[in-house]
Amino acid sequence: MKKGMIIIAGILFLSSVMLLSVHSQEDVTEVDRSVFTNPQRPAAVFKHDAHNQNAGIENCNECHHVYEDGKLLEDESSEDQRCADCHGPEADGNKPSLVKAFHVNCKGCHEKQQKAPILCGECHVR
Amino acid sequence: MNDIYQFVSGPLAWVAFILFIGGSLYRVIAMIAEVKKKEPFIFTYMSLKYSLRSILHWITPFATYNWRRKPVLTVVTFAFHICLFVSPIFLLAHVTLWDESWNIRWWTLPDGSADIMTLIVMASCVFFLVRRLTQREVQFVTFVSDYIILGIVAAPFITGFLAYHQWFGYPILMILHVLAGEVMLVAIPFTRLSHMLFSPFTRAYMGSEFGVIRKSKDY
Repeated sequence: MKKGMIIIAGILFLSSVMLLSVHSQEDVTEVDRSVFTNPQRPAAVFKHDAHNQNAGIENCNECHHVYEDGKLLEDESSEDQRCADCHGPEADGNKPSLVKAFHVNCKGCHEKQQKAPILCGECHVR
Repeated sequence: MNDIYQFVSGPLAWVAFILFIGGSLYRVIAMIAEVKKKEPFIFTYMSLKYSLRSILHWITPFATYNWRRKPVLTVVTFAFHICLFVSPIFLLAHVTLWDESWNIRWWTLPDGSADIMTLIVMASCVFFLVRRLTQREVQFVTFVSDYIILGIVAAPFITGFLAYHQWFGYPILMILHVLAGEVMLVAIPFTRLSHMLFSPFTRAYMGSEFGVIRKSKDY
C-alpha cells in the first residue's frame, strides 16, 4: 500500500515536471532579454515552436550550435544551455557578444532565406 | 519588402558613400586648385594661429559678436548642429549595423537620449523654416533650393523618428529612412550643405585676412 502510494506520488511528480517543461517550451514567445542590464529595445518576438514549424527546422543545433576553438561542431547541440552561458555582454575574441550572436543567428539566416524579417522593428516590435 | 530594403541598404548605400566621400574630396581639392590659379596671393598671409583663433571663436556659443547679437538663433543653431551629428553617429541601431557588417563598434547613446536629440533637430528645422519665411533679411537670400535643402536635412530625422516609434507603415518608413539618409549624404558636397566642408576654410581665410592684413578680430 505504502509502496503503491510512493509510486503514484512519483508518477504524479514526474508527469507534472514533464508537463511544466513541455509547457515552458511552448511558452517561448520572445527572446529572453532578462540577462541584459539595460535593454534599449523591446524583447525580440520569437515563438519557438511556430517558428520552427514554419521554417521547417528539425535539428536543434541549426540554432543551438556548439563552437570549439572557433570551429562549429557539426553533431553537437546546446539546447540544454542558455545562449548567455557562452555569449557574454561583450565580444570575446571571435565569439560575438550576446546581442550580436542573436542578431547574426536570427537575421543572418533570415537574410539567406529571403522571406523572414530583417528590419529592427520587425522583431523588436513595440 | 526585404529585397527593396536590401537594395537601398546595400548597393545604394555604397553609391551614396562613394559620392559623398569622392564628391567631398573633389570639391575641396577643386576649391584649393582654383584659389591657387586665381588668388595664389592668399597663401602668403594664411596663418595657422589666426585660422585657429577664428575657428575656435566661431565654434563656441556666444564667443563672437554675431552669436551674441542673435542669442535665440545661436542656441538653436548650436543645438541643431550638435544633435544633427551626434544622434546618427552614436545611435545604437546604426552602430549595431556597422558592427554586423564591418565588425567595428563604438560608444552609443541610450535610445531615449537619441530620441530627444531627434526631436531637437526636427524642431530646429521648423525654426529655420519659419525664420526663412518671416525674416526679411533672410528672405532676401533665400532661394527655392534652400527649402528643398532644409527638407533633405529634415527627412532622415522625421522618417527615423517615425520608424523608431513604429507608429505607422513601419517597413516602408524604414526604406524611406535609408533613402533619405543617402540623399542627404550625396547632397552634402553638391549643395549649400557643402558649408560642412568649406566652413573651416572660410574661417581660416577670414581669420588670417583679419589677423594678418587688417590687424583686427573677425569675431
